[in-house]
Amino acid sequence: MFGISKERRLDHAGLTTRVIQPIRKILLRMRFDPLSIAGLILMIGGWFALLPVTPRSALPTPWGVMDAIVQKFWFHKTFAFYGLIDTGFFSALVYTTQNVLIAVLVGGAIGIVTGLIAARSSLVRAALDPIVLTLGTIPIIIAAPFLLLWLGGNRASAICTVGFYVAVILYTYAQRAVDNLNPTYEAAARTFGASRRSVLYDVLLPGTLPEILGGIRIALAGAWGLEAIVELLASQRGIGKLIRSITTASDIESLFAALLLLALTAAVFDAIVAVLFARITRWRLRPESN
Amino acid sequence: MTLLARARNRDRLVAISVFMALILGWQLLSYAFPQEIVPGVPMVPGWQIVFTTTLKSLSLYWPGGWGFGSVAAGEEQSYFYAFLAIVYHSGATFLRLSVGFICGGLVGLILGLAISWSPWGRRLVNLPIQFMRVLPLLALIPLFQIWFGLSFVGEATFVAYAVGAIVFAAVVNAVGNVQLVFIENARTFGANRWYLYRTVILPAILPEMEAAVLLALGASWGAVLGAEFLGAQSGLGYILVFSRDYGYLDRMFLIALLVVLYATFSYWLAMTVFARINRWNKVAR
Amino acid sequence: MPTSSHALEAINVSRKYTRRDGSQIHALTDVNISIQEGEFVCIVGPSGCGKSTLLQLCAGLDSPTHGSIRTKGTPVSGPGPDRGVVFQKDSVFPWMSVLHNVEYGLRCRGVSATEREKVAKHYLHRVGLTDVVNAWPRELSGGMLKRVAIASVFANGSDVLLLDEPFGALDYVTRHKIHDVLLELWNESDRAKRTVLFVTHDVDEALTLADRILVMRGGKVVDNLRIEHQRPRNDEALAEPSMIAIKLTLLEHLGIGHAHRFLEGVKQ
Repeated sequence: MFGISKERRLDHAGLTTRVIQPIRKILLRMRFDPLSIAGLILMIGGWFALLPVTPRSALPTPWGVMDAIVQKFWFHKTFAFYGLIDTGFFSALVYTTQNVLIAVLVGGAIGIVTGLIAARSSLVRAALDPIVLTLGTIPIIIAAPFLLLWLGGNRASAICTVGFYVAVILYTYAQRAVDNLNPTYEAAARTFGASRRSVLYDVLLPGTLPEILGGIRIALAGAWGLEAIVELLASQRGIGKLIRSITTASDIESLFAALLLLALTAAVFDAIVAVLFARITRWRLRPESN
Repeated sequence: MTLLARARNRDRLVAISVFMALILGWQLLSYAFPQEIVPGVPMVPGWQIVFTTTLKSLSLYWPGGWGFGSVAAGEEQSYFYAFLAIVYHSGATFLRLSVGFICGGLVGLILGLAISWSPWGRRLVNLPIQFMRVLPLLALIPLFQIWFGLSFVGEATFVAYAVGAIVFAAVVNAVGNVQLVFIENARTFGANRWYLYRTVILPAILPEMEAAVLLALGASWGAVLGAEFLGAQSGLGYILVFSRDYGYLDRMFLIALLVVLYATFSYWLAMTVFARINRWNKVAR
Repeated sequence: MPTSSHALEAINVSRKYTRRDGSQIHALTDVNISIQEGEFVCIVGPSGCGKSTLLQLCAGLDSPTHGSIRTKGTPVSGPGPDRGVVFQKDSVFPWMSVLHNVEYGLRCRGVSATEREKVAKHYLHRVGLTDVVNAWPRELSGGMLKRVAIASVFANGSDVLLLDEPFGALDYVTRHKIHDVLLELWNESDRAKRTVLFVTHDVDEALTLADRILVMRGGKVVDNLRIEHQRPRNDEALAEPSMIAIKLTLLEHLGIGHAHRFLEGVKQ
């Protein structure tokens, strides 16, 4: 960015067109940045580098963690020994993932619809904004114990808790998306004689879609953490409960394994959602940056 | 009165009435659900209980010192001791929060600027940042527990990590968003790298950093309480988890109110500081 | 290496870009220009002819694929205070007051506070912005911001001035006024005239300002027209036959001259 880029010249006749350029085309389509991969490798390399200077009780070896993942993925007797319902990482992750997805879908839908309505009706906005701004900013670590005690620490209450925060996030995003939409688009549509329904379907919904989808992506990323903490506090199932039991046993390898698998699951879903949303909004204008 | 002013007044009225409705609703709920989880402690404590019995019961958490004895040692429960207890535990939480916030913020800022120094730096840290983004913060508390045990350093470090990760990612992103024309302009004036960073990059990223700082503030409240939940001997989180284990919902509620009050105040403080710093910026809608 | 008297030279300069799919863009091909000290040269050309690229190379913000850019004989290796730039986009720093913006170049070079305030206020006065010396950029109009940018560059004392379509976003009247401001600043009596390289797509602007007009098309310099008229060139001066002839030549180069020729042919 600060340096001045120079064109690299390859003197080998034909090498550029026959070998380099096709490879470049494939890489560009896959959107791989070699430096990004290098960054990942550096991180893993850092792990290896720290091994000789840290106690095994604090930093497990990568292969120790891999071992824990493989062994404890489907079923392991130690988990049954702890009295857990989820006797392997897989079933715990499935439970957590289901909760997250339901919470995001339902909470997201509620948040988006109310946000869109609030953007166009100042009465609704005046009524809902204070609720959202007070109840929504209570850190989940405070609200969770209450909600779980009141509603019972079952699956439905966990989903409701996470869903509430997702709704709050998307309410704000939807409102902001409508406010930020260039009013010229709507005005132009009206001059073409568009009906109110057409303005909603052909202008408002597609126009606010990129920002709302971005909000969904962020809410999804946050929902994993929310679900994890809810499970950590008071659940009988899920990866959070698993982590709790593992911690009590001070099993650092399994702890690393659990955290890595959780992060990986979240990352995979984030990537899927990113690609899906990018495809849906293929038309969007890109902002300038250096 | 103009139409706009009338509409604004109406909105303000609606906002206040919603607020009052929430307060009233809580009180009504306390009558609707008089069941008690623990004898003497209702599930939904009404305001009359919260500000009297509950408040006084907080004096139980005053560990003694500063010339005043503790309730455990035989002193009477009173508002005064409750006040001392609140001051003591709030202070403990504030200390962890502020030390962690400042350390994490500074480290995040410096590392972020250092990485953005090189044109390849940003591309290099891209994936590690993505990884940190999807790793849920509060799920790491058990890890920090194993590493640091129950100690001030551990709790502050956890808060620092939460703040640092957010600030670092935000700085890297913000530096990348600085308009090229400003950088080029400064260079044509003969600014060297250091001067460029001081006079162009830093001021230019401040508006974007405001959002990140507020986010980090929210995360740090969650982080400090979460860390205290899982094993501290003082602080608001400690009172919360202690009360929860014994079913004292009313005390939990009072502490929760207190935390929300503190957090809202800290947001307001941060926004005021940034408003002062960002005087030059176009006023957003 | 003997220093030549050419304030700015481009010697066999080419600049190529590679697109994402591997194809090449030849922005500049074997461009040779030389500008004497004190000359006011305009580069005119249609969109995509490479004029802005050439200016970026002269400013040192980019480097050529082949050839070199020299200023007073020494090759250019990066941006610097000897070549001041007025950009097309808004380059005035929004987080500094107008005065601090104009002082910026002097601050970079460590000039003392009293000295640089004096110089900055002097140039702000000459561009007519004394009233807004302590204002924030967000409080100023587009035309005023451009004047701040010009004052900053002049205050920094650069011998060479590079302007990249600086007035494109301004309305007709503001543009007229700012031409006068620019020429007045350029015609300083107490020092040698600065060298100016001004890129524009506006033919009338070039005719108003330049000693010499370089025409570019498709990455190459295709014409070099000298303008002998005295300044200031008001609308009467622009209507003189010799000026019209130059203008028609320019329009022809831009690819829109044939309409006039057609009409001329029809009249006959």
